Amino acid sequence: MKTRLIMLLFPVLLLLQGQYAQAQQRYTISGYVKDQQNGESLIGISVSKAGTGLGTVTNEFGFFSLTLPAGDHVLQFSYVGYTSMKLNVSLKSNKTMDIKLEKSSSQLSTVTVKGTKQEKAVNTLSTSLNRLDIAQMKKMPTFMGEVDVLRSIQTLPGVNTVGEGASGFNVRGGAADENLILLDDAPVYNSTHMLGFFSVFNPDAVKSINLIKGGFPAEYGGRTSSVLDIRMKDGNNQNTTVNGGIGNIFSRLSVEGPIKKDESSFIIAARRSYIDVIMKPFLKGDMKDTKLNFYDVTAKVNFKLNKNNTLFASGYLGRDVFGFGTQVNMNWGNKTATVRWNHVFTNRLFLNLTTFYSNYDYTLDFNNSSKKEAGENTQKYKWTSNIINYGVKPAFTYYINAHNSIHTGVSGIYYTFKPGTGTAVDGTTTSVTDLTQQHGLEAAAYIDHEWKPSTRFGVQYGLRFSSYQYLGKGTAYYYNDTTPGIRKTLAGTKEYGANEVIKAYNYLEPRITARYALSDNHAIKASYARTTQFMHQLSNTASPTPLDIWTPSTNNVQPQVADQYTVGYVYDAPSNVYEISAEVYYKNMEHQLDYIDNADLQLNQLIEADLLPSHSRSYGLEVMAKKEVGATTGWISYTLSRTERQTNGISQNEWFLNRYDRTHNLNLVLTHDFSPRRTLSANWVFASGTPATFADSRLEFQDWDIPYNSTDKRNNYRLPAYHRLDLSYTIKGKQLRRWKGEWVFSLYNVYARRNAYTVYFQQNKDDPSKKEAVRLSIIGSVIPGITYNFKF
Amino acid sequence: MIMAGFSACTDTIDVNVAKGTSYPVLDAWITNEPGLQVIRLTQSVPYTDQAPAPVIKDAIITLIDETAGQTYAFNFNDSAYTFNPGDNATVGVTGHAYRLRVVYKGETFEAIDTIKRTTPIDSITYKYKTKSENAVPKDGYEAKFHAVDVKGAVDYYWIRSYRNNVWHRVADTYSVDGYFDQSVLDGASFILPIQEGITDEEHPYQLGEKIIVKIRSLTYQSHFFLTQVDEQINAGGLFAKVLENVKCNATNITPGGKQKLLGWFGTSAVSSSEKVIE
Repeated sequence: MKTRLIMLLFPVLLLLQGQYAQAQQRYTISGYVKDQQNGESLIGISVSKAGTGLGTVTNEFGFFSLTLPAGDHVLQFSYVGYTSMKLNVSLKSNKTMDIKLEKSSSQLSTVTVKGTKQEKAVNTLSTSLNRLDIAQMKKMPTFMGEVDVLRSIQTLPGVNTVGEGASGFNVRGGAADENLILLDDAPVYNSTHMLGFFSVFNPDAVKSINLIKGGFPAEYGGRTSSVLDIRMKDGNNQNTTVNGGIGNIFSRLSVEGPIKKDESSFIIAARRSYIDVIMKPFLKGDMKDTKLNFYDVTAKVNFKLNKNNTLFASGYLGRDVFGFGTQVNMNWGNKTATVRWNHVFTNRLFLNLTTFYSNYDYTLDFNNSSKKEAGENTQKYKWTSNIINYGVKPAFTYYINAHNSIHTGVSGIYYTFKPGTGTAVDGTTTSVTDLTQQHGLEAAAYIDHEWKPSTRFGVQYGLRFSSYQYLGKGTAYYYNDTTPGIRKTLAGTKEYGANEVIKAYNYLEPRITARYALSDNHAIKASYARTTQFMHQLSNTASPTPLDIWTPSTNNVQPQVADQYTVGYVYDAPSNVYEISAEVYYKNMEHQLDYIDNADLQLNQLIEADLLPSHSRSYGLEVMAKKEVGATTGWISYTLSRTERQTNGISQNEWFLNRYDRTHNLNLVLTHDFSPRRTLSANWVFASGTPATFADSRLEFQDWDIPYNSTDKRNNYRLPAYHRLDLSYTIKGKQLRRWKGEWVFSLYNVYARRNAYTVYFQQNKDDPSKKEAVRLSIIGSVIPGITYNFKF
Repeated sequence: MIMAGFSACTDTIDVNVAKGTSYPVLDAWITNEPGLQVIRLTQSVPYTDQAPAPVIKDAIITLIDETAGQTYAFNFNDSAYTFNPGDNATVGVTGHAYRLRVVYKGETFEAIDTIKRTTPIDSITYKYKTKSENAVPKDGYEAKFHAVDVKGAVDYYWIRSYRNNVWHRVADTYSVDGYFDQSVLDGASFILPIQEGITDEEHPYQLGEKIIVKIRSLTYQSHFFLTQVDEQINAGGLFAKVLENVKCNATNITPGGKQKLLGWFGTSAVSSSEKVIE
């Protein structure tokens, strides 16, 4: 294995050495690019030698390093929404400098961007990447007036959901658990509040999001379908500011400011919903103590220790609480913490060391205290389940010269899965049930080389070595082979001690992305990436629930492996006003989990006996046209796709459509600024209905009518097509001293379409002799929203 | 639940589903209750066919008490296959294993189940609840049964309630040792949500009505089957399970037999209690 790795890397090293030897007198200019107003580091800023294609972009911490021949250069720093800046530099030695860019006074004007070389898709190597910054998200129409990260990305090509209120999204035909959602590098397991209606990320604390759907850089691993990389704001290091919003579902408040001007800052942002508070006066009797809320707190601090060292610490805590009276309580949520250290070794070698902790847990709690009758026992029952990870990830970037850079690093994540512990009390008797804990260690090492020999051609290729060990302490279960589709019987068990390896898996994951520019405005791109995944969410409901448990790869559950190929084309109109991109992809996925019919996924120690491995494939075409400047901005995205799977033991062993397959998916996002203070935005979405299994028969049994599908084929019908229009209108108030306020009025589902979430078959509740097909629409009318946002 | 706040709605729609293959459906539940034992055999029909399923009349159905070595021939009359041991006699005996044999169109199917012990219902209580004070959907009586799990083994129960007589089924709940899905405590009293599961919140009991509750004992396999059925017949909601076929425990024992039989053969010991709301 080791020799293979060295063999593969050898040509890279050779090549670099060659280039290095040729280099004449060259010096490096490095530093950070920040926003002048608030000191936030700026990600993805183009730094280039004016008039040439030589250049780089700032990394996720705003750092850049560019090596140029000795002499005079004009450096240009540009990014959409910022006034581009030109700087004369006379390079006689290595230089460090921090650059501050000013927000363009009016984003309406096209003048500010004319002639500047934007960091646009046509010029970058990355494929299958969508980037949204918070300013763009804020312009989109919202659900109940709230800016939402996950709803925003659903307007991008290649991103789907199974329906309104589904927790989770699907990227290029992958299941919802195949998305790696990172909040400042810590994985987030449940990304939504209120069972899918709002995402857990507080927009006031988010700086930018990157959605990577393919062509994954070697740095990322652990999930097969996508990486949603969410970066939190550092906090304003110039002035203390307060942001807030009052809406009809929840309110937000954030405070950010310098701890020491220019050197350290903090941000703390919180949200709390208050439906239950509003409902309270209307609830009586048993329902009096009903709870229905969520809250989250996001915080971050950063310290610039000196010019070469910066320290960041960030954390998130969120919880959803449901309680029906005092009897039943359910709550769940994520906790994450990240500490990062940025170190500049030399002005060409940058280190980001990340350590993180992530915990997702849920609790179900029940007691009969409110309804206990005389002589009855006190009853209590509590069930808890969690998944905890600890990770460390040093990542190096070596900026060799203007044409070459190397990204390398290692990572390790230790997982503990606690599927469930139940405690029951009846009178004076207590009993505890414990499902076996599971442990896993995921370790990886990667290297990739970004090579841009000319302005026309560039390639980034690398290799990731992923290793996974299913570890003790715990019990390993071994099952007999049976006909697929039937529950496997237990052959035996074996106890393992702490950290003993029960099963190990190793994978080599090649990654490559290449770009060739046909001209200044046209580029073609291609990529290939293999990705692996060692953990799986078990869910056989229409959409995953907060109580669906995660399970690691074990001796019975093989890791998922995906291979994805993409070819794309980007056209950037000469005026820089329009950008059109198209991409086709093909993805092959192995060992996605499926379930036997009537699988028992809840509180089942022998859950693996009900799991089936499947093959999946998905392919599609994604087209996006985007206009980022002018009074009217927005995009149209269209996806034509298919995703299907084959599982022995299901659907007569034939290929069937995945639950999240949508043939057509069209999104139209338009924003028009009538004046600097008045903005109208609209969003229209059209998507083919998702596949569903319909009953073609009923069985009369014990006074019931049991729905039955005599074809035994899964997902053999489709729900009706989904479409929806949303509008929002923003009125910014006049600035009063420092106070800035704005009203956001929104209408969701403007023409009140009853989009089907599921269709199910049942006996009429009032007249059981009537048998019906019922359409469930999660949102069946227009939902208005008003939010007042303020900043001072 | 919360979806109500988001104006979730359901409506009946017409779906164009191709007519499926019709299979024979076995509906056999043998109990230790005295008197007539009934087994139905019907044809599966398209889901939205409103007419009752056609009855299969020409099968031969035999119940074998494997423990006692006794055979009961069920004869078809009117709409079902029946056996009457006499008004005060019983067919089912707690602890006995049973085999059901169905001979249909020249092929033979067999299924087995065992009558497990059940637990007595101590009492039924009720409370009047109004819409305005308790946020219940309708004014009426919420009833609760009181029972304790039998100690010493994992027990599976099926609780079915009726209004006025056994022809008006109200609700079904399932329990393992008095709890929901898993045995967490042996010998405990039935937990509140199961106790209250005998009321249909949308149609609570009214003054003068009789509440009838029966606890039927189940084997693990029958309990598993019924909870799967329950998920399929209550498939609404955000987190509903997708449609899956429930599997029958009857196997075709005819060599080279091609036919398929759906449904289930189950056996139960039954405890029963009733109360009139005064």
